[in-house]
Amino acid sequence: MAAQPRGYLAFVLHSHLPFIRHPEHEDFLEERWFFEALTETYLPLLERFQRLVDEGIPVRVTMSFTPTLLAMLDDELLQRRYVRHLDKLLELTEREISRTRWQPHFHRLALFYHHRFASARRMFVEVNHCRVIPAFRQLMDAGAIEPLASCATHGYLPLMDYQPAAVRAQIAIGVQAFEHAFGRRPEGMWLPECGYHPGHDAWLKEAGIRYFLTDAHGIFFGSPRPKYGTYAPVICPSGVAAFGRDLESSKSVWSAEEGYPGDPAYREFYRDIGFDLDLEYVRPYIGSDGARVHTGVKYHRITGKTESKEPYDPDRALEQASRHAAHFLSSRERQVDALRGLIDREPLIVSPYDTELFGHWWFEGPDWIEALIRRAHAHHPGLELVSPGDYLERHPRNQVVQPCQSSWGYQGYSEVWLNGANDWIYRHLHKMAERMQELAARHPDSSGPMRRALNQSARELLLAQASDWAFILKTQTHTAYAYRRLHDHLARFTRLYDAITSRTIDEAWLGQVEAGDNLFPFLDYRVYASA
Amino acid sequence: MPSAPQPPRARPYSEATFIIPAGYGDTRIALLVKDPWWLYAYWEVHPSDERRVKSRLTPEEVIGLQTILRVYDVTDGGAPESAAHWMDIPLSGLAANWYLNTNAPDHAFVVEIGLLTRFGRFLAIARSNQVRAPRSGPSDVIDEAWRIADEQFWKLLHLSGQIGMGSSPGSAKNALEHAAPGSAGAAASSMDVPSSHQPKALRVHAELIVHGSADPRATVTIQGQPVALRADGSFSARFALPEGTQAIDVAATTATHQAAVTPVVIYRVQEKAGPAPDATAPARRGQPEAR
Repeated sequence: MAAQPRGYLAFVLHSHLPFIRHPEHEDFLEERWFFEALTETYLPLLERFQRLVDEGIPVRVTMSFTPTLLAMLDDELLQRRYVRHLDKLLELTEREISRTRWQPHFHRLALFYHHRFASARRMFVEVNHCRVIPAFRQLMDAGAIEPLASCATHGYLPLMDYQPAAVRAQIAIGVQAFEHAFGRRPEGMWLPECGYHPGHDAWLKEAGIRYFLTDAHGIFFGSPRPKYGTYAPVICPSGVAAFGRDLESSKSVWSAEEGYPGDPAYREFYRDIGFDLDLEYVRPYIGSDGARVHTGVKYHRITGKTESKEPYDPDRALEQASRHAAHFLSSRERQVDALRGLIDREPLIVSPYDTELFGHWWFEGPDWIEALIRRAHAHHPGLELVSPGDYLERHPRNQVVQPCQSSWGYQGYSEVWLNGANDWIYRHLHKMAERMQELAARHPDSSGPMRRALNQSARELLLAQASDWAFILKTQTHTAYAYRRLHDHLARFTRLYDAITSRTIDEAWLGQVEAGDNLFPFLDYRVYASA
Repeated sequence: MPSAPQPPRARPYSEATFIIPAGYGDTRIALLVKDPWWLYAYWEVHPSDERRVKSRLTPEEVIGLQTILRVYDVTDGGAPESAAHWMDIPLSGLAANWYLNTNAPDHAFVVEIGLLTRFGRFLAIARSNQVRAPRSGPSDVIDEAWRIADEQFWKLLHLSGQIGMGSSPGSAKNALEHAAPGSAGAAASSMDVPSSHQPKALRVHAELIVHGSADPRATVTIQGQPVALRADGSFSARFALPEGTQAIDVAATTATHQAAVTPVVIYRVQEKAGPAPDATAPARRGQPEAR
């Protein structure tokens, strides 16, 4: 056991994608979100964590996985399509290697990307046999990552409070999905968008969850006043612990002004050959309707606030990531020292981020994380990487506080998911949840097609509840897709409800719906039966 | 041209024909929390319930009748009808939802939709669930066992930066705004956004396609690098063209023959910029093709 640290750092990555799977289309643009996340974020992180473990360097990263992401990672159709996607990228980058022959900077980058896609393919197909969850599970068994559960479809719970049974089901199914993937019960849960509403901790308690995370004001505005602020967890009246996000460490990564990802040396996200090159040339690699999209092949660095971007230099970017990792850690040490004058125990700094920031948005992010872990081990013995659960083992006695309703969305409450662009959806989501409870109450037991229809109704409700749709409607990107998803799940749910009510189930159609919205094979609709 | 009437038959269900309903034939009002200062209510009133309530009106009361939302502050825990504070929001006939500016963090509310007569009598049609607006600042309650001096607490708060001001990591793009000076709006963290290209003044690139054909059994190289031949012996290669002179050696070799051709390409770029020839003329539609 090492010397007593001066402070703790809980590095938390929240991994989520909405369930997007369209077997009815040969090629579906929005499925790329998942493919890009694999290539740019999940596989690079996996590779780096495995390398660190192999070298005997202690990794202690907390990582949530939403059930929708787990379902996609586990889906054979999407696995096959991902390999097809990588093969297209390999073909594209082969053409790029040739096309850029007279441009040494770009030529080198074309080779760089070709190599990356080839390693992603090797990692995915040969090393992991297309199944990534077991690899993360091994990291869990090695103590390198501490996985967190999350709600079934990333439903935003504060706006679901009108139907407590719906909240309870999102949590309970989230726990089941975790057990299905990781073979053990989860210790902690990531509340989607850090959306906490007082009282929901009781449902977490019921599901066997020991802790969750909130945004900073969820703790700071809690009652009574939290003696340690966000630098220690608080215990909710239910006995479940709540950890508050540290804003200072967040800011160094997120902030547009001060954040690392905006550094001129880093790769420019918005310059992609999918947009920059001749349409006819890139046509086989973009949307099947000819819509230009990101291919992931990006040749420029941020350079500065200018339109004329310089070619990207991966070595220089890597060095910068390493410097930024050192900066992050020394800033945390300074923060810990400043806090020690104010609180009488070793402060805990909880730094949660969206996993996809690292790699997808901030290309060098996975390198930054690796550098951070290496450096924390070698140079910062006073700062110990822990999971929130580890902290609770060391400090089981904490103040009882009722956290404040909060989220990590814009302005800190619910306006991102409740505004003029998306408020109309709640009328329908609440009605569906009400009808689902009615169905569950009417059918305490069922079998055959009836049971299948009831389970599928629950899936359609859950899919409609994904916070992503409200978010997309608000941000005005891909709104047609978000609308379509809400429409389709509501349509399927309504037809199922009518069919169950009138006992006229069209089995052929039910089979089709089950084959499309095929997540959560373990689901039992009776989770809605008693609240 | 009108089509012949189809014989009625069971058609396969298509969810595309589903229309999201305006309501469900219920009478209800639901109350949600947006933030410490604003709540949101949506409602639906079944005509029969409205008629039932209206039947309780006297003929004099029917004139000047107003549909309102009555928002009760029930923080003290009493029933809405005994609440000391409420506010009325007159509604227009078509409204089915409303944002309520309660402006009272940490207060609890219930809202009713109903009819208000010109004599001030209120007849409720539906009552909502109760909600509590979140706190917008630290609590005044101190736990003696976990006491912290005021000054210490505010220092802690200060050290943690801008609390509750929407640091919003939910939009990962925050971190990248440097990268995209022209991009608008927040993007889903977990999703792609279409690259929001500002109309650039002009961006021009040139590419060169070298193509030809050879004996299908030949080995063809361009500048020493082999190129793949199609079954008919044809080949093509595409190159981004930098400024300057390129000598492109193309060579074909079979077991018995050898041939070489070297096209030489000179690429020069001249730039010119300034005000449009006639700034008052209507803008030309579209951008010149700038690839």
